[in-house]
Amino acid sequence: MKILVPCKRVPNPDLKLKVANGSVDLAGTTWQVNPFDEYAVEAALRLTEKGKGGERVGEVVVVSIGPKDTSAQLKQLLAMGANRAILVAGDDSALDSDLVARILRAVVAAEKPDLVITGKQAVDGDDNQVGQILAASLGWPQATFLASILLAADGKSATVTREVDAGVEERRVRLPAIMTVDLRIIGKKAVRNEALAPATAEWEDTQRLASLKGIMAAKKKELREITVESLGVAGGILVKTLRHEAPPARKAGVKVASVEELVAKLHNEAKVI
Amino acid sequence: MPRPPDQATLERLKQITGPAGWSDDPDTLAPHLVEWRSRYQGKTPLLLKPANTAEVAEIVRVCAAAEVGIVPQGGNTGLVGAQIPRASGHEVLVNLSRINRVRSVDPSNNTLIAEAGCVLAAVQQAAAEHDRLFPLSLAAEGSCQIGGNLSANAGGIHVLRYGNSRDLVLGLEVVTAEGEIWDGLRGLRKDNTGYDLKQLYIGAEGTLGIITAAVLKLFPRHRQVETAFVAVPSPEAVLDLLSLAREVSGDGGVLAFEMISRFALDLVVKHVAGSIDPLATRSPWYVLCDLTVARATAETFMTQALDHGLIADAALAGSAAQAAALWKLRESISEAQKREGGSIKNDVSVPVSHIPDFIRQALAAVTKLVPGIRPVPFGHVGDGNLHFNFSQPAGMDQDAYLARWEEVSRVVHAIVVAHGGSISAEHGIGVAKREEARRYKSAVELDLMRRIKQAFDPKGIMNPGKGII
Repeated sequence: MKILVPCKRVPNPDLKLKVANGSVDLAGTTWQVNPFDEYAVEAALRLTEKGKGGERVGEVVVVSIGPKDTSAQLKQLLAMGANRAILVAGDDSALDSDLVARILRAVVAAEKPDLVITGKQAVDGDDNQVGQILAASLGWPQATFLASILLAADGKSATVTREVDAGVEERRVRLPAIMTVDLRIIGKKAVRNEALAPATAEWEDTQRLASLKGIMAAKKKELREITVESLGVAGGILVKTLRHEAPPARKAGVKVASVEELVAKLHNEAKVI
Repeated sequence: MPRPPDQATLERLKQITGPAGWSDDPDTLAPHLVEWRSRYQGKTPLLLKPANTAEVAEIVRVCAAAEVGIVPQGGNTGLVGAQIPRASGHEVLVNLSRINRVRSVDPSNNTLIAEAGCVLAAVQQAAAEHDRLFPLSLAAEGSCQIGGNLSANAGGIHVLRYGNSRDLVLGLEVVTAEGEIWDGLRGLRKDNTGYDLKQLYIGAEGTLGIITAAVLKLFPRHRQVETAFVAVPSPEAVLDLLSLAREVSGDGGVLAFEMISRFALDLVVKHVAGSIDPLATRSPWYVLCDLTVARATAETFMTQALDHGLIADAALAGSAAQAAALWKLRESISEAQKREGGSIKNDVSVPVSHIPDFIRQALAAVTKLVPGIRPVPFGHVGDGNLHFNFSQPAGMDQDAYLARWEEVSRVVHAIVVAHGGSISAEHGIGVAKREEARRYKSAVELDLMRRIKQAFDPKGIMNPGKGII
C-alpha cells in the first residue's frame, strides 16, 4: 500500500494575523502543518501499521507545495513516520485550488499511489476544494470529510464514514481514491487496515508526536525538491485574490437597566423586533 | 490589635461601595471564604468589592479609624491561606476583582498599567494585542489576579528567564494601611531616588497595604518556541540536560525547564481526560522545556543529549496545539493529585546544584516517616524550585494522612534548610508557613521585618495573622 498525503504549511493559527494595506502581513509568523493534513498523515501511518507501535508495511509519501523552508514542516512529518517527502517549489500568492490540484495530479501520475489522503481543508484559506478537484481531474472516486476509514483486506476498497447533517453516512469506495479527512479521523479506532491490524487494534486519540528516534531517522529520509515545470504543469491560476480585509471591530456593548429598555433598544436601535 | 467591627462601621463600609459592591449573603460569601483545596476556611461579617482605588482608600480609612482588620483578596487561587479571613470572623474581606481595567499600554516603553483585579490571562492578552509579551505564566493564570500575583510575588514557569513577579514591576499604586493613596505608577527602568518602596509591598501578602494597580514590564513576543518532552534517567541528568540546553540555545534560549516525576505523569494520565503519555519509553523522570530557538537547534540539542546519555527518549511538539497539550500535562498535576486523595505539599527551593542530593535525602526521610507515602515531586527545576508533594498511601484515611502534614513538612524543611534553601519558594507564607518560616529566620531579620510592619501598618489591621510577622 502506497499512500500519498498532500500537506500544506499554514501560519500558526493561534497567532493574531495583522491585516494591512489589503494584505495579510505574515512577516512575523511561525509556520506549521495544516492540522487536518497532519491528521491525514496520522491516518495514512495507521493504515500501514500492524496496530499502535507495530511493524509498518507500505509507504507513506508526503508532498507539499511551498517555499524552500517548507522543508521544516516536511521533516517534521518524516519524523512522525512518513517514508519520503516531496517539496514542489511554489508560492502561496501564485497558487489557487485549481493549480494545486493540477500539480498534485502530476505528482500522482509520477508516484502512482494506491490512495491519496489529505485534510478536508487548509485552515488558512479554508477553501475546501483541492481534494474534490483532484479526484474529478483524475477520474478517481472521492470520499470527503471522513471520520473513519476501514481498508479492506484485499486492498481494493475501503469502507468509510463521514459525518453529515442527518447523522453518519457509511460508504464503500474503490481504490485508488481520494480521501479527505475531518477531525474525528484520529479517534482511537477510526482508521485500520484489515490486512495488517486486528479489529482490537487501538491508537491514541491524537496524532503522534515527532519522537527523538523519528527525528534521527528523518535525517536519513529522502526529501526531494522539484519544480512545477519539471512536472510539466503550466502555472496559470483561475482565482485571483484581490485584497484581504479584517472584519470590522465589534462595537462595545451596553448594559440595560430593565427589560423595557432592552425591548425599546431592540425595537428602535437594533430594529430586530 | 484589630477589633471586631461594630454595626455602625459595617454600615459605613456598605455606604462606600453602594449596593453593587458589598454582600453579607452566606451563599455569595461562600466561594470567597474557602481556598480551592478546601484547606483554609474563614469567616467575615462583610465582603466588599470596591469599584476603584478611591473606594479602597475610603474603606481602609474607615477600618483604620475603627481598628478593624482587612483581608485583601484577588482571584482566591493562593495556596497558603493568605487571602482567607481568619475564623474569628472579625475581618472584612476586600476583594479587588471589580478594579480590573488595563489602564494603558505603552508599547514603546514596553510597559502596561494594569489594575489589581485584572486576571493574569487578560494582562497577557492585552500585551499580545500590542505584539508584546507579559511573561508571568502559571497554572492559575485564567483566574488569578495581578494584585494577588504581586502580593504573593508569584513565580511560575518563566522565572528562569524573566524572574519572579517582583522583577516584572516598575511601579505601583498602593492604598496604605492608613488609607492614603500612593501613586507610584512610574514606568522607569532607572530610578535611584530613595528606598524602593514598591518592593516592600510586593510579596507582602497584603500585610502592609493594598496594591491597586501596577506598571508591568513587557517584552518582545517569542517568534519561535520549540517545546520538548524528554525522558531523563535521574535528577543528576536533569541538571546536565539544563546545562546542555543553555549551551546549545545560547543566552536566554531556555524559556522554561520543568521536571516531572513518573508518578506525577501517571496521575495526570489516570485522572485528567484527554491526557496521553507522550513517550513510548517509561522513565523515572521527565523534563518539559520550552526553548526559543530554531527547530534545527532544538533537534541538535536532543540528539546531543542522547549522545551524552542524558536522555532516553524525547518528543518535539510540531504545532502550538501539540505544545499546549504537553504543557497541559504539567499544569494538570495539582488537579490530578487532588483526585488521588489527600496530598501534602511543600513549595521549596534549593540551589539548583543541590537538587539531586536534596531529592534523594528528602525522599528517603519522608518514606521512612510515612511508609507507603507516594511522592509526586515536580517543579521549576531551572530555578531550583520544587513542588515537593506527597500523595497519601493507597487506602489510608485522608484526614489521618493530612494530620501528618506538619510532621512531613518539618522533615522536608530541615533538609531544605541544610541545603541552604527556602521553605517557601513561590507560594508565600500566608497562614500555612507562619511558624515554620519564623523558625528559620534570624533574630535580626525578623526584627527588621517587625519594624517595617510597625512603620507601614501601625494599627496592625492589614491582613492580620498572615505572613511572617
